[in-house]
Amino acid sequence: MRLQGGGMAWLALLLVLAVGVIVDARETSDALQLANPDPIRSAQVRETFARLPAQALVLVAMDPDLGTYAEIRPTLRAALDDLLRGGASLAFVSVTAEGRAIAAAELERLRDLGTADEVLLDLGFVSGAEAGMVRLVGGALPVGASGPVADAIGAGGGGIGAFQMVLLVGGIDIGPRSWVEQVGTRLPALPMVAIAPTFMQPELAPYLRTGQLAGLLATVRDGATYSQAVAADRFVLLSDEPRGDRPPSSLAVLLGMLIAVGVLGRQLLGSLPGLEGPVPAAPVEEEQS
Amino acid sequence: MRRSLPAALVVVVGLILLLDFVLINPTVAGLADALLELIVLLAAAAAVAGGVALVLRHWTDVVERRRDPPGSLVLLGGFGLMLLAGLYPGSGGAGGPAVRWLVAALLAPLVAALVGMLFVFLLVATRRGLVLRPRQTTVMLVAALAAIVLLLPISGGAGTWLASAAGWANEVPIGGVFRGLLIGVAIVTAVHAARVLVAIDGADD
Repeated sequence: MRLQGGGMAWLALLLVLAVGVIVDARETSDALQLANPDPIRSAQVRETFARLPAQALVLVAMDPDLGTYAEIRPTLRAALDDLLRGGASLAFVSVTAEGRAIAAAELERLRDLGTADEVLLDLGFVSGAEAGMVRLVGGALPVGASGPVADAIGAGGGGIGAFQMVLLVGGIDIGPRSWVEQVGTRLPALPMVAIAPTFMQPELAPYLRTGQLAGLLATVRDGATYSQAVAADRFVLLSDEPRGDRPPSSLAVLLGMLIAVGVLGRQLLGSLPGLEGPVPAAPVEEEQS
Repeated sequence: MRRSLPAALVVVVGLILLLDFVLINPTVAGLADALLELIVLLAAAAAVAGGVALVLRHWTDVVERRRDPPGSLVLLGGFGLMLLAGLYPGSGGAGGPAVRWLVAALLAPLVAALVGMLFVFLLVATRRGLVLRPRQTTVMLVAALAAIVLLLPISGGAGTWLASAAGWANEVPIGGVFRGLLIGVAIVTAVHAARVLVAIDGADD
């Protein structure tokens, strides 16, 4: 079978992107920079983490979705590294099924990295979405939970109030907005930091302005800035983890974006009157033929 | 009467939860806790019922060879595989190694690939959009192009300027429009809910 026209174009696109991924521009060029030149968002998150007391209890509300998780995964892993290195203990809870699956995987990864069980706790899945969050305020410990983190939560009342911070990891189903509305209003003194995919940025930015969120990383560039700041200290990776699991290759991102600009531009030019373009015939005519 | 019963239930439950939010009263707190527990149980039951209904529907499709039997078979197979991996004796449930492998090796890449295809689907849609609604689609394409150009990952002075322009675009026009939409949706929802509660409209039970 021989590829022609569109097939060749897609193959070429794949090849270009593959080259971009393989040739990691972070080490080959100073002309590219994925990290946001304005580090304010990254700095806000790091300052919030730095203000945590020694051996702080941090609740990680893991509700990302599988579709957009790839975008925020490097940022989240950097944040978990950052918190653990600062001496925090992490308790994971999810109110979505996909979030629960991802939380289980991340907990396993942390254990594989050598993180002690004494600083990790799996609070599991809580059904009921927003209603479940409200119930967590009063009691977050599942039956049979044990260990130092569980003891510390129990000593603090057993609910979310026992934590010194909440790290909100959002996705399509349940996002940080729900946590701010349901939990933040009940525990206004509890700092909340959100990591979310880019599409949630306009929705979450107002909460940062009002102070309901102490920090927000909701774009790839802000995530890259933060990850670089953490990596500058030291970054822990599993031996079989790809190096590129950190912020994505800026060359690949640039190539993809340039291709997008080219394709969109071509469509736009083609739509202008008097210019030949790729615009197809009306769908009705297509069906008739 | 049929119309007013669900509305009355919603009003009563809503008022109790609202009272619990603004008052510190053990009786109200206990009542609100019980209601929340009931809601959580209802949500869990609804999820199980949804799963059962999905299986029955696709099982029927396979048996009666309706709609898309191969697709239904794949869905049933995936459903069964995940249940098996999570429920076999000694399994750790959602945190069990088999479930984690299925999620990490199959589910996550598949869903991420589907989301990654959004750009391709968007392109196909814009081709049709340019035929059907050329002006609106052109505006959308120009906005998309501008957003992409502002986010180009380049360094130096140009990169800094683009990044600050992107920040401004996020904060001002995009943020403003989005917040306006959210406020509008909230107002419409509140008005509609109030109309349903006072039985002016809605409630087509």
